[in-house]
Amino acid sequence: MKLAVAAAALALLVVSSASPAPQARLTVFAAASLTDVLPKIDRSPRYSFAGSNQLAAQIQQGAPADVFAAANMTLPRQLASKHLCSKPVVFARNKLVVIVPPTNPARLRRVADLARNGVKVLVAQPGVPVGTYTAQVLRALHLYERVMANVVSKETDVRGVVAKIVLGEADAGFVYATDAKAVRDDLKVIAIPASAEPGINYGICVVAAGGHAGDARVFVKKVLSRAGQRKLRSYGFVPRR
Amino acid sequence: MKRSVTAVLVGAAAFVALAFLVLPVVAIFLHTTPSHLIDQLSSSVVTDALVVTLETSLIAQALIVLLGTPTAYLLATRRFRARSLAITLVELPLVLPPAVAGIGLLTAFGRSGLLGTSIPFTKAAVVLAVAFVSSPLYVRQAIAAFEAVDPDLVSASRTLGAGTARTFFRIVLPLARTGLAAGLALSLARGIGEFGATIMFAGSLQGVTQTIPLAIYAEFGAGHFDAAVAMSAVLVLFSIVLLLTLRFLLSWPRSSSTRSWFRFGPSTSG
Repeated sequence: MKLAVAAAALALLVVSSASPAPQARLTVFAAASLTDVLPKIDRSPRYSFAGSNQLAAQIQQGAPADVFAAANMTLPRQLASKHLCSKPVVFARNKLVVIVPPTNPARLRRVADLARNGVKVLVAQPGVPVGTYTAQVLRALHLYERVMANVVSKETDVRGVVAKIVLGEADAGFVYATDAKAVRDDLKVIAIPASAEPGINYGICVVAAGGHAGDARVFVKKVLSRAGQRKLRSYGFVPRR
Repeated sequence: MKRSVTAVLVGAAAFVALAFLVLPVVAIFLHTTPSHLIDQLSSSVVTDALVVTLETSLIAQALIVLLGTPTAYLLATRRFRARSLAITLVELPLVLPPAVAGIGLLTAFGRSGLLGTSIPFTKAAVVLAVAFVSSPLYVRQAIAAFEAVDPDLVSASRTLGAGTARTFFRIVLPLARTGLAAGLALSLARGIGEFGATIMFAGSLQGVTQTIPLAIYAEFGAGHFDAAVAMSAVLVLFSIVLLLTLRFLLSWPRSSSTRSWFRFGPSTSG
């Protein structure tokens, strides 16, 4: 008898999981660089923070997200073109900076110093927005080949770069200004010349498969609201124009 | 009547469980055509990841055998006060989450760690991560294999004049070898799948530290799902081969090797 109940329960479980049951709470997939700020704007959703590209890949595979907040406009636009999410809007802007450990073991002063022999540089892997922005900056500064030759690891998201620089395992890494601000006591920042700024726009969209379109739109409005924008600014983001 | 209902339910449960376990594996192979799969395997990301994985695994497993075998023998044959503590310590990495292993390796061998080395981001870092997480599987199995060796055979060998080393290589090692090989197979399987400690301690760079699991994650994130599927297929095939080897090794009748020693032993050791 017990066995029969167990088998029935198992069968029920299998059947009910075959069609993704709508989650009770809103699920927000957001770029790793938004890890600190989004819960301060709204702490009720379930958040999944990772490289925007990882999240986009998961949404393409049918992950039950309601909102996608990415560190660029390209990924949400790609999803929108496949009717997987609504037309994205810009909700924040960011800047790219170079961070070095507080002791600055390689004695770096400007971005060009990263091309010196033996400097251990960290970047995010290609496809992660911050990795793409890094490549743009280095190309604009004509440093791409020489700095990429010094790269010791391509991290899966921006937080991996931050963590390893704070630990002092590498000499320099490319991250967002907001990430640098979050741990500013544990590292030093080298600014990137304004001429090489890539123009970083964060895009947000409502994911079609989530099943909470109404709540998702409310969340997006909250992020775009004056209070939301003020929060973003306090974390170092540049408000949308 | 009641019995047949139970039988049907048990059968149904087994079917559901089996289907659940088999489906993801089968799905990997059904995702694309075999020829497309093989095309993906020729990309430099995949071949580099294969080479890095093979290199680091071979070195790590060689180190594990070289250092783990004497350790296991000591723990299996000597009775000392801290023995159970030592065994617990050896087995600890087995139950540690890989992320904890990564933090541990960084705090020990990182540039600003306890020993302050420049190992992170090198192939050596991958080897250390793999060795740390997978060695307990070998050592555990090796301890069991050595414990199963009849101590009378060992003392007989010693009585007949063979030294410790000779007894170990001529008597103990041949008797324990299937157990050791099984341990090595388990350790290899765990090592090849290593992800968490490696990405934290060694980072991920194509051709240097990017092993197949890291490459799968990177390619998935970069939107190259097909390449990730192709590498997954390789790992599935490899795992199947490893598992079959393991089953073969563990079903190897121990008595046959003992008998063969009795048959050939005296002439070789005398």
